[in-house]
Amino acid sequence: MDLNINGQSRTSNADPSMPLLWVLRDELNLTGTKFGCGIAACGACTVHVGGQPVRSCVMPVSAVANQAIKTIESLGTAEKPHPLQAAWIAEQVPQCGYCQSGMLMAAAALLDKNAYPSDADIDAAMTNLCRCGTYQRVRAAIHRAAAQMKKGGAA
Amino acid sequence: MKRRTWILSALGATGALVVGWGVMPARSRLGSPELMLKTEGDVALNGWIKIAQDGAVVLAMPRSEMGQGIHTALAMLVAEELDVPLNRVRLEQAGADSIYGNVAMLVASLPFHPLDSEGEHKPTKIKMGEWLVGKIARELGINATGGSSSIADLWEPMRMAAATARASLVQATAAAWKVPATEITVAQGVMQHASGKTAHFGEMATSAAGTTPANITPKASKDWKLIGQATARTDIPTKVTGQATFGLDMRLPGMLFAAVQMCPMIGGSAASMDTKDALALKGVSKVVPLDAWGGGTAGLAVVGQTTWHARQGVQAIKVQWQAPATGALDSQRIQANLLKALNEESGFTFHEQGVPTQAEKSAATRIDELYQAPYLAHATMEPMNCTAQVKDGKVEIWVPTQVPQMARDMAAKVAKVDKENVIVHVTQLGGGFGRRLEVDFVGQAVQVAMACEGQPVQLSWSREEDMTHDFYRPMHLAKFQASLDDKGEVTSLRIKSAGDAITPRWMARAVPALSGPIDMPDKTASEGLFDLPYGFASQHMSHVATKSGVTVGFWRSVGHSHNAFFSESFIDELAAATKLDPLAFRLNWLKDAPRYAAVLKLAADKAAWGTPLPAGRARGIALHESFGSIVAQVAEVSLADGQIRVHRVVCAIDCGTVVNPATVAQQVESSVIFGLSAALFGKIDIVGGAVQQSNFSNAPIVSLALAPQVETHIVPSTRHPAGVGEPAVPPVAPAVGNALFALTGKRQRALPLVV
Repeated sequence: MDLNINGQSRTSNADPSMPLLWVLRDELNLTGTKFGCGIAACGACTVHVGGQPVRSCVMPVSAVANQAIKTIESLGTAEKPHPLQAAWIAEQVPQCGYCQSGMLMAAAALLDKNAYPSDADIDAAMTNLCRCGTYQRVRAAIHRAAAQMKKGGAA
Repeated sequence: MKRRTWILSALGATGALVVGWGVMPARSRLGSPELMLKTEGDVALNGWIKIAQDGAVVLAMPRSEMGQGIHTALAMLVAEELDVPLNRVRLEQAGADSIYGNVAMLVASLPFHPLDSEGEHKPTKIKMGEWLVGKIARELGINATGGSSSIADLWEPMRMAAATARASLVQATAAAWKVPATEITVAQGVMQHASGKTAHFGEMATSAAGTTPANITPKASKDWKLIGQATARTDIPTKVTGQATFGLDMRLPGMLFAAVQMCPMIGGSAASMDTKDALALKGVSKVVPLDAWGGGTAGLAVVGQTTWHARQGVQAIKVQWQAPATGALDSQRIQANLLKALNEESGFTFHEQGVPTQAEKSAATRIDELYQAPYLAHATMEPMNCTAQVKDGKVEIWVPTQVPQMARDMAAKVAKVDKENVIVHVTQLGGGFGRRLEVDFVGQAVQVAMACEGQPVQLSWSREEDMTHDFYRPMHLAKFQASLDDKGEVTSLRIKSAGDAITPRWMARAVPALSGPIDMPDKTASEGLFDLPYGFASQHMSHVATKSGVTVGFWRSVGHSHNAFFSESFIDELAAATKLDPLAFRLNWLKDAPRYAAVLKLAADKAAWGTPLPAGRARGIALHESFGSIVAQVAEVSLADGQIRVHRVVCAIDCGTVVNPATVAQQVESSVIFGLSAALFGKIDIVGGAVQQSNFSNAPIVSLALAPQVETHIVPSTRHPAGVGEPAVPPVAPAVGNALFALTGKRQRALPLVV
């Protein structure tokens, strides 16, 4: 089947029922997307499919064929960070860092839909779990990125 | 046995291990240049510091980064002494020499009362004990990241190593320029002389090697440019782009993937298994029965072309599991046994002062209460995993671990090779919290790799395996008995607790040579109970150590995590019984513990203790010392639809000299959320030998929507640096419990909290 990942087309012979997460991680070596729970409870595996945040650990790869899949690897780079990544550094969000790819992808999907999320909007959208308890910095960084994007235009 | 008797016998028993009786200054851990990895163009100046051709500094890093910011903080120490920008310090994993071992962690395991070390001069018996255990720890050289000890341990040796390297470089430069060394200044990694000459470290490293400057002392605090400054962490940039390499992110040519299933019953094993269906699956290549390694449970592993294939294979295997010969465990039965032990056994006395029996006889009022805490899982976000390759009599492992040498020793044992034939690569850790002080999964990975004919294999656990096969924080019970005289003054406090000992089991796994048939009393069981700062005239604190058979381990802040809930909730009960404000009551009894009182007052002031709150909200306060640091917290709590909501937690911390205040704030925030997850939701039940909780769906943790705003206030200090990664965990549960009492009038005496 044909997959469109980070703007590139990739061909996969994966079993159609194999979750997207494992195709990304173990077949395509895109290890930025993490495994955390396997039941869509923690959000560490969050990627975008057609612009929507999706928990890839329960998403059969066959269900996302030919759709635009976006992973942390294409959010931004050290040289050209996404405003959220810049905000994450400015607010010193990550600790162990394991859940942060999923956090960032969930936050990016939120800002795509809602340029100025309120605290309540963030509470509702950011259901990703973090064992290091970085939540208040996640909140601050989303507000910071939103303000930055308003000043500097789109991401 | 009394405390002093035990210490002396412990010192006697271990004294035989001590080699040499000299003093142990930081320079004894300087190490020789040969200890560092030889890399083209770099010049090693001692066991910690290499200088690259371009003048960059390479630091041997023995501690694991698991989110606590230690790689940044330790690099800051070296950047400070060498006067190089922080981004010019590169890290290289340290080898296995004993200079990299953790001395401070073992010294902290001595059951001394912290108030005895508060004054300017430590009592001789404490100095002797610390010296002797330090000596033993130095010989053992156990490299472990834990016990909030990294800065406390490496504060002197790393600064000394960098200061010595700097002196060598300056000395070599002075000789080359034919000027006095005192006329050379160093800034931003460049040495300068008034004559206009300049050189960077790389240009002088070769001539500096082999020089042995004498009388080196690290910089005085007034000269610090970096230490004490809020500094951005160096590991964060790769953690926001997905490029950081955790254990599960290792990818090697030809690598296979393995999934595991252990016997659901702790300590059990497979009686029989039918692997036919599994092996018939596409992408599944092998089934490997697993032994019980490192105190874990036996089971099986399936090797496949991806983790998903391997897990499909696991699900297709039909296994007949059997309980251990000792029978299936049950947490309710264990709880009943703990209560029985509390009532029938005397236990080991960790602290005694005054004459409690007399105060109890003449008491006008007695308050007796029972407190309890359940088993808890660590639930690191990155489940347990290890990647291994066994080839030509050599083993190579890539593993997120807090104990690289234990991992090495486990790999050597499983593969039956010499330790020298094992290479350990420590990756980034997706959380540790004490779970990665165990190496059960390393044994499994090497066993599977041995069956894979030289191919590397990444073995990983599902969330379900991770949660049901943890080394759990042990269940604990504690009985509190206080006496009040006719004026309402507290005259005695007696505490007896019961629970499984952690340290003897772990020592048997880590250093079998040091474990014997009789367990040493485990300080972690009574810490936070025997060492209270309150000046009640008569006190007696004892602990009954049990052996339930449950795999138990170190859980972030260890015994303090439950004991602070017990003691600080009971202190609140005493305040209520004496009709005093909880803050005022505590301050009354802290007259001989001014540092504790100062921390408590700071938290209370910042939280505006005593001022009105909106209707439906209440505050609770708690104070606790652990890992050398004192933390006070004020929690603001309300109830919404019968659920506990914590809105704000104001924290004050005295952790001695601070290296990176930004990290202190991060760790306090992290600890509050970690402790709050346990306070609100945390429990592990064992029924029929099997852990009942299996994933975040039935073992929830605090989410963003439930996370309080955490404020951190640091008490300025010039004392030796103390712990930061754990000390803010213990006070959360009692602060919230005490706030609930203020709100509802119902005292919380069990975890998790229930309204």
